[in-house]
Amino acid sequence: MEEDPSNPKAISDKTLDPVTQKKQAAMLERLSNLHQSRIQQSNSRKSDSNSSFPFESTKSYLDRFSEAKQSIQNELDRCRLVSDPESKAFLKSDLEKVSISIAELEKLVAANSYFLPSYELRSSLKTVSELKETQENLTSELLPKKKFAFKNKAAKKDQSNVVEETGIRASDSGLAERKSFQSRDSPGFRNQEGAVLVKHFGNSEEGGDFTLSDLKSCEIRVMGSLRALFIHRLCNCRVFVGPVLGSVLIEEVEGCLFMLASHQIRIHHARETDFYLRVRSRPIIEDSKAVRVAPYLLYYEGIEKDLRDSSLDEETGNWANVDDFRWLRAMQSPNWSILPETERIHTVKISNMEA
Amino acid sequence: MGLLSIIRKIKKKEKEMRILMVGLDNSGKTTIVLRINGEDTSVISPTLGFNIKTIIYNKYMLNIWDVGGQRTIRSYWRNYFEQTDGLVWVVDSSDVRRLDDCKMELDNLLKEERLSGASLLILANKQDIQGALTPAEIAKVLNLDAMDKTRHWNIVGCSAYTGEGLLEGFDWLVQDIASRIYVLD
Ligand SMILES: Nc1nc2c(ncn2[C@@H]2O[C@H](COP(=O)(O)OP(=O)(O)OP(=O)(O)O)[C@@H](O)[C@H]2O)c(=O)[nH]1
Ligand SMILES: [Mg+2]
Repeated sequence: MEEDPSNPKAISDKTLDPVTQKKQAAMLERLSNLHQSRIQQSNSRKSDSNSSFPFESTKSYLDRFSEAKQSIQNELDRCRLVSDPESKAFLKSDLEKVSISIAELEKLVAANSYFLPSYELRSSLKTVSELKETQENLTSELLPKKKFAFKNKAAKKDQSNVVEETGIRASDSGLAERKSFQSRDSPGFRNQEGAVLVKHFGNSEEGGDFTLSDLKSCEIRVMGSLRALFIHRLCNCRVFVGPVLGSVLIEEVEGCLFMLASHQIRIHHARETDFYLRVRSRPIIEDSKAVRVAPYLLYYEGIEKDLRDSSLDEETGNWANVDDFRWLRAMQSPNWSILPETERIHTVKISNMEA
Repeated sequence: MGLLSIIRKIKKKEKEMRILMVGLDNSGKTTIVLRINGEDTSVISPTLGFNIKTIIYNKYMLNIWDVGGQRTIRSYWRNYFEQTDGLVWVVDSSDVRRLDDCKMELDNLLKEERLSGASLLILANKQDIQGALTPAEIAKVLNLDAMDKTRHWNIVGCSAYTGEGLLEGFDWLVQDIASRIYVLD
């Protein structure tokens, strides 16, 4: 940045005593800051007509974002270093201003979120979150609550203790409640080892949700259409499923092979597992490692109609567009890859018959 | 008419309401928002960050913030608490296994001071799925009766697929917020 001729330090009067001098310098600095922020405000007002308007260009968004981020950070740094009482008097309003700037930065992200590449979006969100945290920490550090606030707090604390106590008791009853619902099991295969498990749904009207849980070394074939599929704790299984109209939710699987067609596929805590997918939206993984993907290759009698009825007859190519929620960078996530063609299995034909 | 209500009236002249939609991943938040806005719901990806929709609802302008519920991004929810008039907590009524998770996250949210004034609508979504728990059952598991007495809340069963229940839910929410904020109406 260029030297500012109105730099307050340059014009502070050297003939004054050090204390007064310091005070004066601080005051001038404040005035200059105020001036700067007014200029900034009017600038932003000028561009206000398009401030909430998306740029539709990642580059101009990023420029604007990093500029705003920098100025917020500078302001936070300045607040942190404030030591003289006079500037301290302004700390509260200064920190509030920072909070407003952060909110504005957030709006900027929001307005542009629909076209931003996912990693830019996520890192922007992260930055905003961090700035907020810094601002909040600074506020509680630099502006300790007034004495009378403690009284309030203590009173409140008592109250919340009471609430919490009843909360615990009540949540126990909630747990019992949930257990009783869980025993009213939804259709599914559970707690099996080394079995071939086959289920055939007639038509899409009939198929509700279906659950596969706690299965070891099983082969599972589900034909017909489903509304939703839940998969939980599978190890060393091969799973072939017809079209799912809603979503497939997968948690904790290891050493498995899945063949799934669905509108949404959400994979959590998967290890060393291959997924043959057809999916309308982007499949996502979270907390997973050594996941490989390939296109859907399932056949059973009547699958064409089931796929059509669930609007999954078209190959969108989305099987390869995996989003890793844990991976914040532009580079390919190390947690998943495309299964090399030479290692893929061939089209799998399944039927009602056991193996 | 009190001075306070005049001030409020002026402040909220545009009749804006800020609504925050949260809930576990896969509960159907984005589908619900698109459905009430009359948009295509055939291709929806899990939400990586958040979406904002401005919807004119009756004579109010709803700013709906739909924030992703995947575990990785739940820590960002707190970024959206400020100035929230209405909180919509969406539950997948067919996902019985994760109701504990769901209860824990909701309890955490309700401890948040910045949300203490917000009206709370709980949508027991996916009622179209056979075997989905009813709103009454969900209310029991989430132990809603034990909620702070000062909280305005309601639970409504709905389906983002059929659209059933959505208007009922949002009608209640908007009316409840309006009766708190727009004292004059
Ligand atoms: N059967 C049925 N499925 C639904 C309903 N609402 C949503 N779904 C499905 O549930 C899945 C998840 O929906 P989303 O709207 O993406 O869920 P979300 O809450 O936004 O998820 P995140 O963005 O990850 O937080 C999709 O496959 C939807 O089609 C419903 O009322 N009934
Ligand atoms: Mg979503």
